[in-house]
Amino acid sequence: MEAVGPNPFLFVSAVLFVCGVVCMTTKRNGIGVLMGVELVLNGASLNFVTFSKFTPLGLDGQVFSLFVIVLAAAEAAVALAIALNFYNNHLTIDVDRGDELHG
Amino acid sequence: MEHLGEKLAALLAIAWLLPLLGFTIEVFGGYWGARNCKKAAYIAIGCIAAGFVCSSTALYLWGSETGWVALESASHGGHDEHSSATDDAHTAGDHGGHDHAATVVEHHHKQTVFSGCFYRLAKFGSLNLSLDWYIDSLTLTMFVMVTLIATCIHIFAVGYMHEELTDDYVDHQVHTHDGCHFHRPGRFYRFFSYLSLFCFAMLGLVLAGNIFQVFIFWELVGICSYLLIGFYVERHSASTAANKAFIVNRVGDFGFIIGLMILWTSFGTFSFADQHAADGKVQPGLFSMVRGSDGKLEATDGIVVLKTQQDEHGHWQVPPDSSQRKTIAYTLLIVAGLGVFCGCVGKSAQFPLQTWLPDAMEGPTPVSALVHSATMVAAGVYLAGRFYPMFTPEVLLTIAYIGCITAFVAATIAIVATDIKKVLAYSTISQLGYMMLALGVGGWGAGLFHLITHAFFKSLMFLCSGSVIAGCHHEQEMPKMGGLLRKMPITALTMLIGVVAIAGLAIPGTSIALSGYHSKDAILATALAYTKLNSVHFLLFLIPLLTAGITAFYMFRLWFYTFLGKPRDQHLHEHVHESPLVMTVPLLVLSVFAAGCAIGGEEGVLFRMLTHSQPGHVAQGFNGLAAQTVSLPSHDAIHKVHSTAGSAALLAAFCGMTIAYLVYGLGLVNPEEIKKQARAVHAFLANKWGFDDLYDTLFVKPAHVVAKFAAAFDKLVFDEILHTVVRFAVVISKWDRKFDEGVIDGFVNLVGNSTYSLGIGLRGVQTGRIRQYVTFIAVSVVTLFVLLFAFYPKG
Amino acid sequence: MSPEALMSWIIFTPTLFAFGLIFFDKKAEEPMRYWSLCGTAVTFLQTLLLACSFSPEDAGIQHMVKVPWIENWHINYQVGFDGISLPLVLLTSFVSLLSMMASWSIKKQVKGYLVLFLLLETGMLGVFLSLDFFLFYVFWEVMLLPMYFLIGIWGGPRREYAAIKFFLYTLAGSVLMLIAILMFYFGSAPEGQIGSFDLMQLTAMAEKGDVFSPGLQVAAFILLFIGFAIKVPCFPFHTWLPDAHVEAPTPISMILAGVLLKMGGYGIIRIAFPLCPYGAQYAAYVLVAIGVTSIIYGGFAALAQTDFKRLVAYSSVSHMGYVLLGIAVWKISESNGAAVGRDYWLMGMNGAVFQMLAHGISSPAMFFMVGVIYDRVHHRDINQFGGLSGLMPLYSGLAAGIFFAGLGLPGMCGFIGEVFVVLSAWNFSKTLAIVSASGVIITAGYILWCLQRVYLGPEYKGPHLDEIKANPLTTRETFIGATFLAFCIFFGVFPNYVFDMTGKSMEKLVQGLDTGYQNTQRLTGGVQTTQTTQKQN
Repeated sequence: MEAVGPNPFLFVSAVLFVCGVVCMTTKRNGIGVLMGVELVLNGASLNFVTFSKFTPLGLDGQVFSLFVIVLAAAEAAVALAIALNFYNNHLTIDVDRGDELHG
Repeated sequence: MEHLGEKLAALLAIAWLLPLLGFTIEVFGGYWGARNCKKAAYIAIGCIAAGFVCSSTALYLWGSETGWVALESASHGGHDEHSSATDDAHTAGDHGGHDHAATVVEHHHKQTVFSGCFYRLAKFGSLNLSLDWYIDSLTLTMFVMVTLIATCIHIFAVGYMHEELTDDYVDHQVHTHDGCHFHRPGRFYRFFSYLSLFCFAMLGLVLAGNIFQVFIFWELVGICSYLLIGFYVERHSASTAANKAFIVNRVGDFGFIIGLMILWTSFGTFSFADQHAADGKVQPGLFSMVRGSDGKLEATDGIVVLKTQQDEHGHWQVPPDSSQRKTIAYTLLIVAGLGVFCGCVGKSAQFPLQTWLPDAMEGPTPVSALVHSATMVAAGVYLAGRFYPMFTPEVLLTIAYIGCITAFVAATIAIVATDIKKVLAYSTISQLGYMMLALGVGGWGAGLFHLITHAFFKSLMFLCSGSVIAGCHHEQEMPKMGGLLRKMPITALTMLIGVVAIAGLAIPGTSIALSGYHSKDAILATALAYTKLNSVHFLLFLIPLLTAGITAFYMFRLWFYTFLGKPRDQHLHEHVHESPLVMTVPLLVLSVFAAGCAIGGEEGVLFRMLTHSQPGHVAQGFNGLAAQTVSLPSHDAIHKVHSTAGSAALLAAFCGMTIAYLVYGLGLVNPEEIKKQARAVHAFLANKWGFDDLYDTLFVKPAHVVAKFAAAFDKLVFDEILHTVVRFAVVISKWDRKFDEGVIDGFVNLVGNSTYSLGIGLRGVQTGRIRQYVTFIAVSVVTLFVLLFAFYPKG
Repeated sequence: MSPEALMSWIIFTPTLFAFGLIFFDKKAEEPMRYWSLCGTAVTFLQTLLLACSFSPEDAGIQHMVKVPWIENWHINYQVGFDGISLPLVLLTSFVSLLSMMASWSIKKQVKGYLVLFLLLETGMLGVFLSLDFFLFYVFWEVMLLPMYFLIGIWGGPRREYAAIKFFLYTLAGSVLMLIAILMFYFGSAPEGQIGSFDLMQLTAMAEKGDVFSPGLQVAAFILLFIGFAIKVPCFPFHTWLPDAHVEAPTPISMILAGVLLKMGGYGIIRIAFPLCPYGAQYAAYVLVAIGVTSIIYGGFAALAQTDFKRLVAYSSVSHMGYVLLGIAVWKISESNGAAVGRDYWLMGMNGAVFQMLAHGISSPAMFFMVGVIYDRVHHRDINQFGGLSGLMPLYSGLAAGIFFAGLGLPGMCGFIGEVFVVLSAWNFSKTLAIVSASGVIITAGYILWCLQRVYLGPEYKGPHLDEIKANPLTTRETFIGATFLAFCIFFGVFPNYVFDMTGKSMEKLVQGLDTGYQNTQRLTGGVQTTQTTQKQN
């Protein structure tokens, strides 16, 4: 078990990140997008923790990942509120229907 | 003596200015006064009569103070107008011979010529222009003559113009567009105000002490004449005649101004007499400069040296120091003389400017009597006489010929004229020609003598014609008259006196004759003496002699035509009436003068009075300078041929009268037959020798063409140039605008437009779809990484 | 009040009254008119006071005021008067007063009209009183603009055309003058120093003859002359005048004819000649020829006109020709450059100033007379008049008198000016003198023919007969006409009052020009001098 280096962790983190990005770009459901964001954040957190473990950075990475978790929770709350409002306005949470910002 | 001069000047100035005062009152008072008020006439008559009294007083004063030197050799003869003068003359008139000039010289110590200055108009360095006075016997005689005749005519006019005393005057010669006669308020006061203004101007002309001042009043009488000819302003013919008179006179004045310019530039003064400056220095006048004190005019190499320095005797001499000499080219002196004479030609209606005078008969008859026969037209002769010392023999020859031609041409036209006033007008021109002729051939006294006598008998005849016209209800055509002797005896008889006077009839062998005989006799005698000296110019005697016959013919024709025979227009004849007293009394007064003013002929009072002012050089006769062909006769030479000339003239006059009597009195020959026989001649004469047509084609029409051309030139050339320049500027500015809009604005717009279109292009990327954005981000990041790894050098 | 202060008061009184007009209600037309009339009247009285302080024995500038204005460039507020400018100042305020009286016929936008009118008067008085070249130029332009609007707004049917034409012509002249001003400004300074705008200093320099080279004088003279000749106007530059006159309202025509044209003549006498005596003498023959041409050409052109006002306008061209003729009859001796017959030239100069004055009285009067009849019948076709003497006797009498003054009848002002000028011309050139004398015939022709067609005859041929009958002459019109006529006669009978005023100053001017020319020629080695010396050697 000692032979396990950072690479597997980084690989998982990258898969998580890519999954999250793919999810964000493909999901039309607002909640799905939100889940994609969570995946991306988790992938990033995993990176922080990995590098915290395998480099002499110390606890900084873990502290950051804690921040990210808190931030993700807060973000989820806000995002869900947005989704709710979005639904109120459009009677759907399909993000493609919200294109008011187009040029 | 200076004191006397001041007194005379004061008296004459009063006589001169009174009519101006009258004019002012009449102009203002007349405008506010009633139309049927005769006050204006009374004021005018009062002014001019007072002027007559002043002038007579001045004449008497002058005579008595100078001891009547002028009349020293006077023989017996009554001069009605100042009998006291003749009385004095008798006492002084025993010594002295025939040579009047000698008398004048002898009494030179007694000053008889006075001059002075009223006020200065301007002074530029050494040049001085002022209003002066110049009084000698000629001035005084003219003053008395003008005021006397003017008084008579003023009184006559009260009767003649009485139709104007109304609020509703009907002018039968003018029709309105609907064919009615023209109605207007009467203009009685206006007529008299014009007359007064004229008298003022005329007297000012006579009193003038320098040639510039003469010119001033010359123009003023001209404008008065204009106003009076055009008195009936509604008549187109009247206003045209007035214009013609003034403009033709201006043609003469054009020459006059040229003369003035030469005199002014060469002499530096206009003054006739020497001028006494305040510091005691004496400035020579024109006459002194040219003639000096001995009356000689000398030219060397065509240059006349002016006599500008006084020697110890007070005689004017050429300055010995040549640097102080003032000179004038002899030709320039000739041109100056001709120029001034040109003015006289215009004013005195001489050939070739005679055409205005017959037309001037459009004015009321008293005007014709006063302005166009007695005074204004004679002003030309007066000026020629006054200016005599300045004329060179060449100029005098021109004057003689002009006078001769005028006398003849006008007399021939008078033969065929049928309008009673036109006949008199032509006879006036003809007689003025005589006067000019006399001056030209050296008969200074004779010319001015004729001026005075003519003034009396011609104004008399004009007034008579006025009386006839008034009696015939403004009919002026002689063919409609006839047999008026019974109806208008006073008019007819006074007219006869005038006719006899102008015809120059006398009882053969005696010198019992009316005034015209004496003066015409004097002229013809001078002319004969002149032709004897200069036989080349024999026409200068023959033509006037012939004209004398013609004169007698047409004047008697007029009289017979009008007053004798059977009435040719019965209707007219029935309504004819003799004029009232206010018109006939002036006729009688004038007829007395017309008959008697020249009593004694060249020994008489009037002639001596005039010749006292004669320029010193005339009496001896003199030779011409440049041409060397003309000599002027002396008094003695004239005296020798006097009887010959007199007889010839008398013969001619009797012939003329007889023919007239045969044709028009007895009716032996029908004038209509002659007219038919000589149709071409008659047409030529009736057309006034074609002068009017000639001038019309030669001057009037071209002037209008030039005027049109000038006006068109402005529009078509100057304005066109301006417009072209402006158009050119507009074209340039259009180009400028295009450059601005196309190039400079284009560049700025290009920048703006491209930015804009870039923005438009990028707009598509901004879809507002969040998934797309994320995709972009992801793709971009991947791309960046790929690029980074692909190109970033490893290691 | 001292004459020094009085001059500035005279110039700016009209402006003050124009400011006062701001406080009037727009509809209170009558009070505004009376207020402006007061303004012109006060100005006129002030100029009379100024005339009282004038001493005719003093030839130079009197009561000069010189206050620095723009010190860096030596520009001063410099005013003063002498015997040449004083008559014109009097004329300006006099004509302005009578024109203001004639302005009752203006009904449109009265307030603006009056303001511009008063500003115009300030400009005109300033031109005649200023002695600083820059100040002169400023006033010259100040006068130009109100005139443009007065013609362009209150004029007749073709007013825009006329106003633009007037403006362009005059502005072209101004530009040429500006160039000349700068030439003198820099010419008067030694290397690297500041020049002068002081006309008196420049005149003195020109008289000394060593400051301005002949070349500069000739060039500057041509520029100045063209600038002023446009204003006069002389023959080739005159076509703005008929149009401006015809379109301008009557009072403005009066000002134009009475005052504006005089500025050209005044400029030539006060500036063009004294500053470049060499150039003036160089061009003298051409100047006289132009003057004579103007006389004859204007006369002929007037003869052909059928528009009453145009006829009067062309008569102005003809009459102003005499001014130029009189100024320029400067004959010099070929050998030493001294004036020949200087007294005749002096007479011509004086005659020219008198002619300006005479024309300044008779011509506005003529325009006024045209305006009176135009106000009634609303047309100006000479051939459609006739018979006015019966319908309006008083008016016709006044008009006839005034037209006779224009005709140059003795005893009226036109005669003295014309005849004096013509008499002085023979000394200069015989041919040109004869041609100029022939002007008397043409003048008589067009004036008398015009009188005949307008006033004489049995009946009126045109429209609006009823208005003539309904409105005989008003008291105001009678007063204006009679005043003009009275002055015409007064100056015709007593020209000595004017000549006493102008005499000394003119003598000084002529003397200065004479020495100025000789000095220039001697010091700079003019062509003729060298020839003479060669001959002497």
